[in-house]
Amino acid sequence: MFKNEEMEINLGPQHPSTHGVLRVKLRLDGETVTHCRPMIGYLHRGVEKICENQSFFQGQVWTDRMDYCSAVANNLGWAEANEKLLGITVPRRAQYIRTLLNEFNRIASHLIWLGTHAMDIGALTVFLYAFREREDVLDINEAFCGSRLTTTAFRIGGLREDLPPGFEKMVRKFLAKFSDCLEEYEALLTENRIWKKRTIGVARLSAEDAIALGVTGPMLRAAGVAYDIRKAFPYAAYAEMDFEIPTRTEADTYARYQVRMAEMRQSARIIQQCMDGMPEGPVMAKLPKILRSEVNEVYHATESPKGEIGYYLVGEKGSLNPYRFHVRAPGFINLQSLPKMAEGGLIADVVAAIGSLDIVLGEIDR
Amino acid sequence: MNKFLRTLLPADIAKGLSVTGKHFRQVFFTANRRKVPFHIVSEYPEVPAKVQPRFRGRLTMLKDEQGVIKCVCCLACEKICPTQVITIEKGKQEGRKMPYPVRYDFEMERCIFCEFCVESCGFDAIILNHQFELAAYNREDFSLGTEGLGQNMFEPSHVGKFSVADD
Repeated sequence: MFKNEEMEINLGPQHPSTHGVLRVKLRLDGETVTHCRPMIGYLHRGVEKICENQSFFQGQVWTDRMDYCSAVANNLGWAEANEKLLGITVPRRAQYIRTLLNEFNRIASHLIWLGTHAMDIGALTVFLYAFREREDVLDINEAFCGSRLTTTAFRIGGLREDLPPGFEKMVRKFLAKFSDCLEEYEALLTENRIWKKRTIGVARLSAEDAIALGVTGPMLRAAGVAYDIRKAFPYAAYAEMDFEIPTRTEADTYARYQVRMAEMRQSARIIQQCMDGMPEGPVMAKLPKILRSEVNEVYHATESPKGEIGYYLVGEKGSLNPYRFHVRAPGFINLQSLPKMAEGGLIADVVAAIGSLDIVLGEIDR
Repeated sequence: MNKFLRTLLPADIAKGLSVTGKHFRQVFFTANRRKVPFHIVSEYPEVPAKVQPRFRGRLTMLKDEQGVIKCVCCLACEKICPTQVITIEKGKQEGRKMPYPVRYDFEMERCIFCEFCVESCGFDAIILNHQFELAAYNREDFSLGTEGLGQNMFEPSHVGKFSVADD
């Protein structure tokens, strides 16, 4: 009487529960997902090719627009990769300010993840709480570099300007209240019965699979691998900072939530240390009038809120613009673990899996 | 069985309502909402939004005290612009040693507000003002110049009447 047949459906391209324009091709047996393939490319702008035709200085504006939720982290990677290529040393004060802003950006990115991920699963309230604090972080961005989202925060060789007056007061005010705010979010979620049912044991990705697929960031740390580029290959001022790498071993969506919450606490700790130990001095290195590359090839990886963001630049000696530019986007690499997590699970858990990836399609499609 | 009975208890609902009550109390007992300092929401169109001093708004040209355009056509802004929105035409003006911009065209629809042009300018001839409401009905309204029918480069745009006026 009933035909037993697999059904193929599209989740997206513009499903309200998916971030950006992602299309996931699913084959369903009843409610169980048997086959899952993410389709990307709807936001492709050719950032890599555009940057090859522009000078080293101009390229930074495109890194803002890759992962627009963590623009500062992208700027930092770009600036440091270029400094490596051009052979520039950055003053210590600039390094500290970069670290400070990068950690603020991590908090903002994790807050937007927390809000949207909880909203996808069904807890709408957290969204409003998380965006309240994100607003403060964006105000700090605006006070420092004049823009809230597409920051263009750093310059090759340091910073454009020193910290504005009143900046320290803003940061201290934020730090004073932030740990209370985190407790507020956790009060809404950590022991919430629905939240636990929707996340515990959902979308498992074991450490072996994660490493085999090249997954980095909180996804990998939730599987028990304490790999953080801030510790493994310190950049900016992270070598002087005292912080921990939070890890969990459950490797499910709930573990990723716990890791990200713990990371926000560590970020607040790093900001505190940056603010207390801020050295005096210049914020910009002495640069030649025209930037020309010193070495031929450079790969520089930094820890963005989503994972390892690496910039690969090939610049022939003496050239004005990169000959080849490539971004190792964390979201792009992390997304390929989606079939592994979703196949065999329920269709409702696909949304939880996509949410726990913390993807931004601007970065995946580039 | 025990687990099932627990789901029937309205403890979670009571917990949720207590949070709602807490926030309701904060608003309810302070009837005049504008006086409440911890309000996150601002009444934006009626009350102009505040922006930070470094805010990057629309590109504006400056004149010095005598009302003379400061720009000397060094073309630094034109060269550094990542989206090529600035076009300058050099010219001569009587009684002025430095070159004079006959045309200074700014295509706002492609501008990404990165402030590279202001940074490159060695004569402080341009700034980004504090205007952020830049929507317009016609495409021509986004083409700004030193003169002509459209908006010009010296005044803030007409449309942004709720945003902060540049001072």
